Amino acid sequence: MRAKVMRLTQLGLLTAVSLIIFVIELQIPNPFPIPGIKLGLANIITVFAVYRYKAGEVFAVVIARILLGAVFSGNLFSIIYSLSGALLCLAGMLIFRRFIDERHLWISSVFGAVLHNIGQIIAAIIILQTPQVLMYFPFMLLSGCLAGLFTGLCAQAVAAKLKVLS
Amino acid sequence: MKYKILILICVCLTLAGAAGSLLVLNAPAKQRVNILSNGKIVRTLDLSEQKDVVFDVNYSGRTNTVEVKNGRIRVREAQCPDHTCVKSGWLSSSAMPIVCLPNHLVIEFADAESEVDAIAR
Repeated sequence: MRAKVMRLTQLGLLTAVSLIIFVIELQIPNPFPIPGIKLGLANIITVFAVYRYKAGEVFAVVIARILLGAVFSGNLFSIIYSLSGALLCLAGMLIFRRFIDERHLWISSVFGAVLHNIGQIIAAIIILQTPQVLMYFPFMLLSGCLAGLFTGLCAQAVAAKLKVLS
Repeated sequence: MKYKILILICVCLTLAGAAGSLLVLNAPAKQRVNILSNGKIVRTLDLSEQKDVVFDVNYSGRTNTVEVKNGRIRVREAQCPDHTCVKSGWLSSSAMPIVCLPNHLVIEFADAESEVDAIAR
């Protein structure tokens, strides 16, 4: 019982922290006028959680963050893009964590970011019914690798500090 | 060893992204422009002949104001949360359309096509 409550509290904290990061990132102006390109700082928490929590728990944290984040940003249309990206990314990262250890967390973060962008571009092709949006993919690939590297390194720093937990 | 290969893949992905971006940015502009709303062509323009004009494209109650000026086209104003389409500026690359995700709007260069093609589409 006590362990369960501990777990639940940690998950709630993770969700809250990632939401705060998400809202702060909204205030940073995006210099690139290309849809789908952003740092995705909130994913620091996602990447960290993938390596420390069970699959179901990570899904719960991420989905709660996306739904609440959409409400806070007033950007409800983006839910489809966030969800399709996040689900593909999570599925991939849960596989990567089996053969990439925590000391190389940033590698699986980069792959996760690329999968995230692939999910988004698939959603965009389906919704806009225009294969032309595929032309955005190179930009998303480049930005995804860099953003994934950055969030991955941040998550690694967090994981190193939080050795005590779990 | 395993990690060296994985890191190499990361580097390759980044380089592929950079190379692809350059290719897309350098794709030349064309004269013919299609405006798609929700996947359907709502307007086709020939920029070399088109006079300066400003018009609205509606999608589920929201409007994108499209402007053609001096043979160039852009989204001047948009009723959407992110205004990415406005910040994209003038349409310049045939490979990269102006996209407004919230309002399902795409503005892209098209090959000069015969009427048969237009109907077939």
